[in-house]
Amino acid sequence: MIIKRSILILAAALIIASLSPKPAHASPYEGYTYSYWGEAVQSPIAYLPSRTITGQEIGIEPLATPNDMFAAPDGNLYVLDSGNGRIVVLNSEWKAIRQIQGFDNNGKQDSFNKPEGIFVSGAGHIYVADTENKRVVVLDSSGAFIREIGAPKSEVLSDNFEYFPRKVIVDKAGRIYVVARGVFDGIIEFDSVGDFTGFIGTNPVQFDPVDLFWKTVSTKEQREKMIRFVPIEFNNVDVDADGFIFTTTADKQTLVPVKRLNPSGIDVLRINGEWGPIGDYSRDRSAFIDIDVSGNGVYRTLDSTRGRVFTYNEDGNLLYVIGQYGNQLGTFKNPVAIESFGNRIFVLDRDLGMITEFSATKFGSLVNEANGLYSIGKHNDAAKLWQQVLKLDANYEMAYVGIGKSMLRQGEYKQAMTYLKLGNDREYYSKALTKFRREYMREYFGTYMTIVIALILIVMAVRRGMRVRKEGMKQDAVSQGR
Amino acid sequence: MQFLKDAKYTLHVAFHPFDGFWDLKYENKGKLRIALAILFGVTVMMILKRQYAGYVVNYNYPLDLNSIDELKYIVLPFLLWCVANWSLTTLMDGEGKFKEIVIATGYAMLPLILIYLPNILLSNVITLREASFYFLLESVATLWFVWLLFIGTMTVHQYTVMKTIMTMLLTVVVMGIIIFLGLLFFSLIQQIVSFVYTIYQELSLRA
Repeated sequence: MIIKRSILILAAALIIASLSPKPAHASPYEGYTYSYWGEAVQSPIAYLPSRTITGQEIGIEPLATPNDMFAAPDGNLYVLDSGNGRIVVLNSEWKAIRQIQGFDNNGKQDSFNKPEGIFVSGAGHIYVADTENKRVVVLDSSGAFIREIGAPKSEVLSDNFEYFPRKVIVDKAGRIYVVARGVFDGIIEFDSVGDFTGFIGTNPVQFDPVDLFWKTVSTKEQREKMIRFVPIEFNNVDVDADGFIFTTTADKQTLVPVKRLNPSGIDVLRINGEWGPIGDYSRDRSAFIDIDVSGNGVYRTLDSTRGRVFTYNEDGNLLYVIGQYGNQLGTFKNPVAIESFGNRIFVLDRDLGMITEFSATKFGSLVNEANGLYSIGKHNDAAKLWQQVLKLDANYEMAYVGIGKSMLRQGEYKQAMTYLKLGNDREYYSKALTKFRREYMREYFGTYMTIVIALILIVMAVRRGMRVRKEGMKQDAVSQGR
Repeated sequence: MQFLKDAKYTLHVAFHPFDGFWDLKYENKGKLRIALAILFGVTVMMILKRQYAGYVVNYNYPLDLNSIDELKYIVLPFLLWCVANWSLTTLMDGEGKFKEIVIATGYAMLPLILIYLPNILLSNVITLREASFYFLLESVATLWFVWLLFIGTMTVHQYTVMKTIMTMLLTVVVMGIIIFLGLLFFSLIQQIVSFVYTIYQELSLRA
């Protein structure tokens, strides 16, 4: 009887156990970040795929090898459908509000030939890197031709230079920056009129010491057949609100795949800790093919090694990772472009001709919001959100640092030290310690000094006593005649 | 009481090495158990340092800490040094016996305890800006230890200065050779074991 009952209870318990921990939302990828020690740490998923959009779903011809897209500030998404040589403009409800198939180039009908890059300026002008036509085409928002910018003409370029513009961006001042295929000198810069002004942000040459050795010992004929050491070429660019240019390089050797160039071409990207934004810490390194700058200095890079999107804040801390290669909703075959708008991320897949939209989960929006407040220095407001982040993910180091900095400002030095230690921020820990030490000494200096003086006095007294006793003993010895 | 006296003598060696090491050898003032106690003390001090050094200067990954590892970093090098030094100096007219080498090396390690202990305490109240003091003291401890080891080796074997330096450098080389031979030996044993096991398997499967 008892056995029967216990079996029944056990079975009931098993059924309940198997039912209760239902996965809230199955995700096709795992969320993680990297800890201070460089270990991948599980983390809640920050963004989940909310829908996908193909040409058929919009009600137009399918997208054929789309190469790039651009999320304009007004919420429209410009998709560069390279295979069909057209631009599709989608509004925020995913309706195709416009399609630009061709344009009227000074009386002659003209079209794109395998364009690879698109950019929309603040004024609504569309810049297209018309790769195979070797030019950058500028259209107004309705698709009417404004002008075209051809190959740069300069003495610094060699005679057999072939110009294949791949990506184009325009800064606030109207300067045009072009990344071209096979150009190792950096980003090509045109002024607002379209005249070539120079290259900026040249990458340093990188080479293998072993190759260098063989090169030095080989003959001139052999040397000519070897690979030349050339700087790594940029493969994508984006521009932030302050006019700084973010660049990526797909090279797997480099330790600075992401750069933030100031107007004079110097890399000013902030790096926190030992590693910069390099994606996955593994032997097979991430190769970034696109970068998207969203507000508050946050930028996202698209990795072609594992098809992941890495989101970093302005200090270079990895916030979250989403996506991977696969066949499910939210995974990619051949992702080529990333854009974001508000709390949504779009990834364009060239082979599938499809855009995947990701929406922030509770965790993702909390992190975004907290990081936003944190980056503008509102540490106290951010700390409240970081507390909520910690409830969802107790391993989130950024949150500990955020709370620690807030505590430091509030004068809670002891607590600040605890949090900053958990977040592994030695610099601010040290600051908190300095304050705490001063406060502690101010409070207890009197007590400690009293103890020290008392101890000294006691020691002196004991010594004196011993000396007196010794002398007494000596005198005794003398008096006893020893 | 005897132990206290011995402990006091180790301090004498640390502060007056020429005199101290001489008496260690010729007046039989060195005790093997004291040398081993110092070795044990240094090991414990290293463990404490890894665990309790202030966060500002402590870059150890807490999950990687393992006290048994200190055998690898302290006890093994100590024994290797003694064996290597002894093997070398017997060939190079050294006067020291193995026991004397162990004692001298052990006593020479005292500064590590003397400096590490206050340094651990200090490291907990210093900031990043003052961290260089911590590292300075660490270097002082190491230099002091090497200095004592130098005097100890010189006195125990009755060598000249140059010969002592040469011997110490060669000892390090010999330590490397011993490790190499040890690994070779282990690898060969492994091969033999796997060979015998394979034959056994073959036979047992056929039978």
